[in-house]
Amino acid sequence: MRSVVLFGSFYALLALPHALAVKSQDFKTCSQSGFCRRGRALAARAQEAQSSWKSPYTVDPSSIVISSDDSTVKAAVKSSLYPEIKFGLELRIHDDGVVRVLLDEVDGLKKRYDEAASWALVSEPKLSKGIRWAAGKKELRAVFGEKNDIEVAVDYDPLRVRLRRGGEDQIVLNGRGLLHMEHFRSQTLKETIEEVASDENAEGQEVLQVENVRAWFEGDSEDAYWEEKFSSWTDSKPKGPESLSLDITFPNHGTVYGIPQHATNLSLPSTTGDSPSYTDPFRLYNADVFEYLASSPMSLYGSIPVMHAHSADTTVGLFNAVGSETWIDISYPTKKSTHTHWISESGIMDVFLLPGPTPEEVFAQYARLTGTTALPAHWSLGYHQCRWNYVSSDDVRTVQRRFDEEDMPVDVFWLDIEYAQDHKYFIWDHKTFPDPVEMTNDVAAAGRKMVVIVDPHLKRTSDYPVYQEASDLDILVKPKSGEGEYEGWCWTGSSSWIDHFNPASWDWWISKFKTTQNDTGFSWTESTEDIHIWNDMNEPSIFNGPEITMPKDSIHHGGWEHRDVHNINGMLFHNNTAQAVRLRSDIPKRPFVLTRSFFAGSQRVGAMWTGDNLGTWDHMAVGVKMVLANGIAGMAFAGSDVGGFFGNPEPEMLVRWYQVGIFSPFFRAHAHIDTKRREPFLLDEPYKSIVRDILRLRYAMLPIWYTAFRENSVTGMPIVRPHYVVFPQDTAGFAIDDQFFVGSSGILVKPVTEKDKTEATVYIAEDQVYYDYFTQYAYRGSSKGKHITVAAELHQVPVFIRGGSIIPTRERPRRSSPLMKLDPFTLRVALSKTGTARGDLYLDDGITYSHQQGEFVWREFVAEQSQKKTTRISSRDLASHNPGKAVDGIALTTFDPKNAFAKEIEEVRVEKIVVLGLNSKPRSVNVEGGAELKWEFVPGVAASDKKEGVSSVLIIKDPKVLITTDWAIVIS
Amino acid sequence: MLWLLLLPLPLPALGAVEKTLGIAPHLVSKYVPSRSNTWTCLDGLKEIPWDYVNDDSCDCADGSDEPGTGACPNQSFYCQNEGHIGSFIPSSRVRDGLCEPNCCDGSDERPGVCNNVCQEVGQAYKTKAAEETKIRKTQGSKIRSTYITYAHKEKKRLEEVIETSAAQITTQEKEVARLRDIAERAESLSAAALEMKQQSPLYTSLITHSNALKSLQREHKKHLQREKELSNILDALRSGYNPNYQDMAVLEAVRGWEEIAGLPHINDVGKDSVSDEEAGVEEDTVPDVAQTKEEVEDEMWSAEELENDLDDLLNSDYISLLLEHDEYVQSPPEGSVLFDIASYLPDAIVPQYEEFKETILSLLVSFGIIKSEISSSTGTSLDTSRSRQVLTDAENELNKVKKEKENAENDLKEIFNIHGYGLEGEWKKLDGTCLRTENGDYTYEVCLFGEAKQIPNKGGSTFSLGKFASWDPSPDVKPGEEAYYQKQIYNRGARCWNGPERNVVLLLSCGTENTLNSVVELEKCEYQFTGTTPALCRPLDSFEGRNGKKSQAGKDEL
Repeated sequence: MRSVVLFGSFYALLALPHALAVKSQDFKTCSQSGFCRRGRALAARAQEAQSSWKSPYTVDPSSIVISSDDSTVKAAVKSSLYPEIKFGLELRIHDDGVVRVLLDEVDGLKKRYDEAASWALVSEPKLSKGIRWAAGKKELRAVFGEKNDIEVAVDYDPLRVRLRRGGEDQIVLNGRGLLHMEHFRSQTLKETIEEVASDENAEGQEVLQVENVRAWFEGDSEDAYWEEKFSSWTDSKPKGPESLSLDITFPNHGTVYGIPQHATNLSLPSTTGDSPSYTDPFRLYNADVFEYLASSPMSLYGSIPVMHAHSADTTVGLFNAVGSETWIDISYPTKKSTHTHWISESGIMDVFLLPGPTPEEVFAQYARLTGTTALPAHWSLGYHQCRWNYVSSDDVRTVQRRFDEEDMPVDVFWLDIEYAQDHKYFIWDHKTFPDPVEMTNDVAAAGRKMVVIVDPHLKRTSDYPVYQEASDLDILVKPKSGEGEYEGWCWTGSSSWIDHFNPASWDWWISKFKTTQNDTGFSWTESTEDIHIWNDMNEPSIFNGPEITMPKDSIHHGGWEHRDVHNINGMLFHNNTAQAVRLRSDIPKRPFVLTRSFFAGSQRVGAMWTGDNLGTWDHMAVGVKMVLANGIAGMAFAGSDVGGFFGNPEPEMLVRWYQVGIFSPFFRAHAHIDTKRREPFLLDEPYKSIVRDILRLRYAMLPIWYTAFRENSVTGMPIVRPHYVVFPQDTAGFAIDDQFFVGSSGILVKPVTEKDKTEATVYIAEDQVYYDYFTQYAYRGSSKGKHITVAAELHQVPVFIRGGSIIPTRERPRRSSPLMKLDPFTLRVALSKTGTARGDLYLDDGITYSHQQGEFVWREFVAEQSQKKTTRISSRDLASHNPGKAVDGIALTTFDPKNAFAKEIEEVRVEKIVVLGLNSKPRSVNVEGGAELKWEFVPGVAASDKKEGVSSVLIIKDPKVLITTDWAIVIS
Repeated sequence: MLWLLLLPLPLPALGAVEKTLGIAPHLVSKYVPSRSNTWTCLDGLKEIPWDYVNDDSCDCADGSDEPGTGACPNQSFYCQNEGHIGSFIPSSRVRDGLCEPNCCDGSDERPGVCNNVCQEVGQAYKTKAAEETKIRKTQGSKIRSTYITYAHKEKKRLEEVIETSAAQITTQEKEVARLRDIAERAESLSAAALEMKQQSPLYTSLITHSNALKSLQREHKKHLQREKELSNILDALRSGYNPNYQDMAVLEAVRGWEEIAGLPHINDVGKDSVSDEEAGVEEDTVPDVAQTKEEVEDEMWSAEELENDLDDLLNSDYISLLLEHDEYVQSPPEGSVLFDIASYLPDAIVPQYEEFKETILSLLVSFGIIKSEISSSTGTSLDTSRSRQVLTDAENELNKVKKEKENAENDLKEIFNIHGYGLEGEWKKLDGTCLRTENGDYTYEVCLFGEAKQIPNKGGSTFSLGKFASWDPSPDVKPGEEAYYQKQIYNRGARCWNGPERNVVLLLSCGTENTLNSVVELEKCEYQFTGTTPALCRPLDSFEGRNGKKSQAGKDEL
């Protein structure tokens, strides 16, 4: 109130300057990256040569060896360019039909990095035994799969790997002959001379080599083989060229998704071919991109080299397990086919072909490889209030008090870097936070938590025990010499980084988070189990490093260069922190650790957010797409900063952003230190009340979100699902990325992300009734797809219930989610055209791992027309029927519906049932075998009608049926 | 399925509650069933069975049927708190498993969850209230009453000042009129001659020099000011630049500045066991060293002289100098011999002659026989400029007194102004009282009704955080009421680098001393100070009045 009244005029002045933009000169384009340049030049030569182009790589058929269990095939590969160099190809077929294709140099001068997959995979995949391989003259084939409908073919000359289904190629490796694994070589004297002779132009050594027989393929110059300069940095490249170029073609899929993280459309735009959308390839190189663009193929904070190729017929997936910098060109030669070209700086080729054939199965196949998001702490699905920075413990208390005074729910208060003295993480600045434990306890008293930042850069000062211990243990990343400690610049000034690739760092790091005294060194005694962690800057972000990150020639454990592991780096820090938080208590509790950087597999560890976005409408809009894209690649627990990190959003924008936020799996508001405070209680009316209602809607819907997380944790299905996932055959919906479904609940959301909107257009893909969540207006889609226009004034967010869904909510506003534990439920039964509906509900204690011991409640609600004109709504246990698929982490064999958790909530009842779309006023409504219930009926449009309009609504008052028991209510 | 029949039985115990639970005392009378055992929602829009009241299921659109269960959102739940004071809590806190401090009787939770602690809470409240009363009554408000007395004395004093100045003004105005008359006459006598002398190349050159010097001084000052601002900006940049911008250009600017200003690199401060303090000292001394090293040529002015003496030089009375100059060069006498007869007289009788001449001349002049304009001897010319000087001095004196009067009048207006020192003038005493507190690396100071400042403890520039602008400007707060005086706004302080002008919100409460307790920068360059002052300790009767008026708010604070 104070600031709004006093300084209201500043809002206009401080609105985001138009000049804000990424410093693109800080980051490489493909043409500034030697191996990308070489990779694209190779593709250009192939393009030019057209049909005369032939890959120099061939399989030696005589070398084929099939493993004794028939799961694996190995063969020698040669390149005609370098006949003396040996390559080894290996194919493994997993028991779910996934084909893993590996290619490595054999007996090379050095070893290529081959551990990327081992970090990404959740466990060693099970191989499919008894595959029948047929080695022919030209190719090696195998047919497999449950229905024997998947086929893998390896063509010998040139080398080509094809995954086929129904006689059609699904995924083709090296179909365009762009495969090139640069072998290790010695820097010859001649090359050294060239190096010197080429004066300062290190990037373009255009010294003519007259008799280069390989020039048709490799080009005429040794472009940036041994050293590469960018801006003021020099990459010493001691191993020389070792890049990998690989073309992957989807001849029958015209749409590709995935390879997050990029600020772009879900359906990936082209980067090559005719009039490409972007001129540079998509880049995967985890980077702290300051004020990133809202539409760009540039790298961002995380990298998941997973791509889904989709058509109305099938969906296939691809996981390229590479941890080094990777550029991906995409083009669409026809509407129904996709060319991709993957150029990685180092590492073996380790590609997993996911046969699908549905989006659901691709998610399951990828989940079996890299795991799913562990069921998060329930409170972490509530609202997170963050700012850089809440400046003191009293500030935190005041913010909490203001939320309570305004009766706005919130679960978590966050502390950014300024809590730490000189940014020495864990070490409270006692001038401003004299009583961190008491402060945390004050927050926890209302069932809330705190999240406190711990970044990976350690201040290099001997009075910082965390640094000193790491230094003494010799577990810090080393500079290119391989000796001593790499030193870079970050918040902390001169800093070093823990090498989480070094197993010696793991237990040590875990011990830092103990809240009790450690025998062996520092532990965070000034913390409590109500403090969870935020890992930022883990790309790693290094202010004085090339591209704001670590020099590629820095040395990790095992002598690997940073270039080999860069994209994996952030995940290990995140993982070790999450382990630490899990293990700090005697009874392990689910950790919440937010990360900015991530890789394939990070989803197992926790949540991510889309980094330092801008308070602009286009960033709000692209945030929705990015969260969807992350979900496609398994990183389900995702969100964007509500309000935008930079800038001062006007109230309208903030309201819309909260509407986006409550429909993100991870829901946090955050703001830069230079911005005005913008906690929702500071808003003027009507904005304040609108946001209060928005927050309460999130809390009311927590059962839906938690149930969606359960499903994700078991199946890998995304929490927020774009259209194509739900309607894979609806071509018109393939590119839709501004509306989505929440889990399997049937909730469809189209957030408004534009200014001055009063209406929204929503696409309905099927011939089904969709009810407006708030007005109960029944809209009707069409099997051909149909756009409907709905009101979307500022206080309205377009939310629909798909006909055929039962939505469980908890409608009593509370201060925080743990205080809702014993609140009753409301069920919204949205009848389908045929008068049926279903939904499920999953509950557990939300904190411990007792759900893995069977302590949970998983119910299914079904509405069906049992006899003519009778609708029966029933509740039944789902877990007993399917204990093995109830929760992630353990396959239960039995389930006791009267487990300890169920007993804890046994008094929790359904307080209201709302039935939408009944044909006519019921004659009676009663609990099956029981007395007549109290109810009201408002006539309206029936689900089975053809017309649109406010649906009929039956409200059953307090049926007093319990959540944990079976029951049925009959509407006659 | 038979057991389903039993289900409703245990439920009333956990659902419905006593019909009167949570109802505000003034509404209790409305919660009675009709003859047909129904009840109408308080908004009058719906009639429901009486059973529906407090049955833990929301039926009324206005939520009025569930005062005691929390089943309807946005309601207030009334805790009777017997033994203490009744209190409202939001319905969102009813049956949430937490015992509300405001509900000491535990009625907000299911039976058995919270103990009734009203006895202890009530006792503690009474003790605390008694203490607060004591502070207000016996200490704070006593001091406050001395402030009011002071204001009344001040009022009296100011009235006297006004009275005295008014008298002085009358006298002085007459004096000014007399002197103006003399000066004008003297000037009219010499104007033409003076104009002639002013044509002298030396004089015109002097004026040109003077103008040039003035311009130079102006430019010099401008540059000094600019340099100071630039160095402030660069200091701020150096100590506060945001490395997250990852802008090497900024880093270069910082390093460049450090080199010019002879400062250590900010990131090295505190490193290599150089304490911040030492670094701070270094900062201060380096520029001085640079200055003393500068060699000053003979007769050339030092920077200090330029600073201190140049204004005096430029304020020289050039006309006087011109006329004095004439004496030195012994310009040939002009005009009538009568005026300069002294030069022909023996020295011995000159004094007598001079006396005589004055009389005669003034007589002649006053009778219009001779005109003083033809008299332009050096002596009389000097008289002219001096009489002008005397006039100016007298006028200045007059203006000073007028200003004094005006100030006193303004001050008088402010003393009992609702927007100024309060209706009772209780704030007048504190005008200019400076409160300080240390916070981290800075000392924060606010001089009430003056300026707020941030003073670095380890050297560096002091920043203005703003000047007093107003009491609480919120439209929700009425000028004159207590809340109005609990907040002061200081704004238009030094602008932050890349940010707004600094400003301060000073939150005050009753206390026996004038203190500044805390300072917090809630967002960049926006400070919140809290402090206490006896000026806010209203005497008990008005305290009670407030409490009566805002009883609900008062109870919420329990």
